Amino acid sequence: MRNVLVGPVSVVGRASMGLMATLGGATMLLGRILRALLPPRFDRDEAWRQLYAVGVKSSAIVMVTALFVGAIMVIQTAFYVQRTGATSLLGFGVGFTVFAEIGPILIGLMFSGRVGANNTAELGTMVVTEQVDALRALAIDPIGYLVVPRFIAMIVMMLMLMALGDVFAIIGAALTADTLVGVDPSVLIGDILDSHLLDEYLLGLGKAFCFGVSISVLSCWYGLGVRGGATGVGRAVNNSVVANAAAIFFIDFVMGWIFPVGL
Amino acid sequence: MNAALERGFRAVGAPLVAVGSHAFGIYSVFAQVVMALLKGAVRWREVVRQSYLIGNRSLFFITVTLGFLGLISVYQVASQIQRILPDFTMMGPAFIQLMWREFAPTITGLMIATRVGSGIAAEIGSMVVTEQVDALRMCNADPVRYLIVPRTIASTVMVMMLTIYAVFIATIAGMVLADVVFNVSPSTFVSLSMVSGQDVVLGLVKALSFGFWIPIVAGQAGLSASGGSAGVGWATTRAVVASSFAVILLDFIISGIGYTVFDL
Amino acid sequence: MSGAAIRCEGLGKRFDDTWVLRDVDLDVYRGEVLGLIGPGGHGKSVLLKCLAGLLSPDAGRVLVDGEDLARLGPLGLARVREQYGYVFQNYALFDFMSVRDNVAFPLRQQAHLPPAEIDARVAARLADVGLAHALDLLPRELSGGMKKRVGLARATVGDPAILLYDDPSAGLDPVTSSKIFQLIARMHRPAAATVVVSHDIDRMRSVCSRYVMLEHGHVVFDGPEAALADAPESVRAFFFGAAHKHLEGR
Ligand SMILES: Nc1ncnc2c1ncn2[C@@H]1O[C@H](COP(=O)(O)OP(=O)(O)OP(=O)(O)O)[C@@H](O)[C@H]1O
Ligand SMILES: [Mg+2]
Repeated sequence: MRNVLVGPVSVVGRASMGLMATLGGATMLLGRILRALLPPRFDRDEAWRQLYAVGVKSSAIVMVTALFVGAIMVIQTAFYVQRTGATSLLGFGVGFTVFAEIGPILIGLMFSGRVGANNTAELGTMVVTEQVDALRALAIDPIGYLVVPRFIAMIVMMLMLMALGDVFAIIGAALTADTLVGVDPSVLIGDILDSHLLDEYLLGLGKAFCFGVSISVLSCWYGLGVRGGATGVGRAVNNSVVANAAAIFFIDFVMGWIFPVGL
Repeated sequence: MNAALERGFRAVGAPLVAVGSHAFGIYSVFAQVVMALLKGAVRWREVVRQSYLIGNRSLFFITVTLGFLGLISVYQVASQIQRILPDFTMMGPAFIQLMWREFAPTITGLMIATRVGSGIAAEIGSMVVTEQVDALRMCNADPVRYLIVPRTIASTVMVMMLTIYAVFIATIAGMVLADVVFNVSPSTFVSLSMVSGQDVVLGLVKALSFGFWIPIVAGQAGLSASGGSAGVGWATTRAVVASSFAVILLDFIISGIGYTVFDL
Repeated sequence: MSGAAIRCEGLGKRFDDTWVLRDVDLDVYRGEVLGLIGPGGHGKSVLLKCLAGLLSPDAGRVLVDGEDLARLGPLGLARVREQYGYVFQNYALFDFMSVRDNVAFPLRQQAHLPPAEIDARVAARLADVGLAHALDLLPRELSGGMKKRVGLARATVGDPAILLYDDPSAGLDPVTSSKIFQLIARMHRPAAATVVVSHDIDRMRSVCSRYVMLEHGHVVFDGPEAALADAPESVRAFFFGAAHKHLEGR
């Protein structure tokens, strides 16, 4: 009986303690990253390498995800449009959800899973094999050499992939509209373009920028904090993707609240 | 010219081969799980323990993510409605219906893929690199049957339960926001009038298939881990990506079939 | 002595494009303790895993009592593996189980024994390896030597007819190492076939009746200690402790 009562309380308690520690640590890491950027003190070559690596890792999965997001949103919107007879709203509904809401969330989650998790695993492995200590011993600052290039690469790539992902989502939507819903793709695309969705598109990019910041900072923070061998690396990756998912929904909420878009 | 062509083929072919062999690996784990289920060789005590772990690990996480999703969705929809037709009576029922049909199962599935899928891969992956999986084999305990089958059953049940919980949380969050910001009374907002039995079934079928496939996809990633801590990290990454993608793909397939065949 | 318990014919194994084992022919007979030696990273553990069917060969075959492991199928493989005991190089204890459950695991999986009998055998075997007091500890609470001994108890609790030890004394102090080799000698029943991989040649000499040496995945020596006189210089050098100088010289 006691367990039933104490259980949830202690779960919430422990979770909020963990949240505080993560927020504090991640904020300090962000501070150190910004200090290394002004004036720029980081490894340019490494930044280019990371940009390339992040792009190679994530473009395919983000594009394919975007295709399906567009497809799913067409199916769901068509369901409502058909019931209410408001066929003219199909383009608006699809464009709005894809650009401003579901598109950023799903693309952000995929990016976090692919790039963020991988980053935590990489840095975590470098920590447990003492490579990070070796860098320090060579008087190379791990922030400038490891973290800042990843920070830049992830933000830039997240923005580019969101911009491109929206295009792929529209393609997925058009293909599905044609095959499943019976709406001509050119009509749907015309509808979307006529719906004045520039604000939504920009909101999506703004979210992408914030996701890039949070994914890079959190995944580096968890990676550099790994303790204890293979098990430790696995656990850090697990924590990192969970924290990133929570951050994505939080950012999505705050941005949507601050910048209301729509008709 | 020839060399360039060959390099081109390699660049396109290598990822395709990788995806193909990955898909085959997942299919083979799936087949083994189904065989084990048909034979009824299930460790029920472990199923109960895994269900508890899945619920315990993800309840707080789902509360946070679905809470924010409920808040922002209602906020955005209500802002639109306020500007064109200030009539909020349909908002709550439609919101709850859309949650059942689409967002509660899919977002819950994605969260479980992230939270539980990566956990399964990390756990099984570190068992592989520390040779514990080999030791299981030597004791004639089949790793798929021993490790993945209980997690599959547990996650199938738990994702369905958590989906129902997700609808509940998102509705509460949306209701509070609608009341405080747009003055929509909770009694107007909370109504199941638009939710048909078909919507409930569609949502639960989605939850069931996400729950079933996540441990299979993630467990396969864990079992194919190799080479120390880097291998475990890599397997965990792959599990997150592959199981999240599986959720999106299944969502598309089930929604598509639901829409075209059953007019859902 | 009726034929080989395990026979390898032209065994080859590769990872990606590197062949780790090449054309290995090897017989392990019942009643003998075979010492498998060779420099680190030259394929001893891989060979042992091929003998147990944990890795499948890319060339040649492995026969256990005349049956090809690759053709057995899951049920046949399970039947064959009931005869095996395997001590892993890195212990491979199940970290979510207590010492007692680790050792009881093979019995619970294979034999249909009453629980009381399983408990009795587990307790007896753990007492044999000097761990009667550690029954309820978890693997992470054990020292390296204790883990090795639990691994040994788990591998031998079912009285297997084929015993494979991968470096059972690695990283242990001399006293514990000697105890481990005494245990190996004690666990070896007359009808059993035992393979011991180790770098501890001095202690192997007290238990092994024959030696096989692997270098770059090739068998470079196969015979009893007496045959070493005719062996190539490199093998003798390795065996008599000049391994490092010899390998660096090449
Ligand atoms: N799963 C694997 N994937 C790729 N390469 C492997 C794998 N397992 C072993 N190898 C390679 O095979 C070679 C032989 O390894 P093995 O573990 O058999 O060496 P060993 O003789 O047991 O060494 P030690 O005495 O240090 O234990 C090594 O070069 C190793 O890198
Ligand atoms: Mg070895």
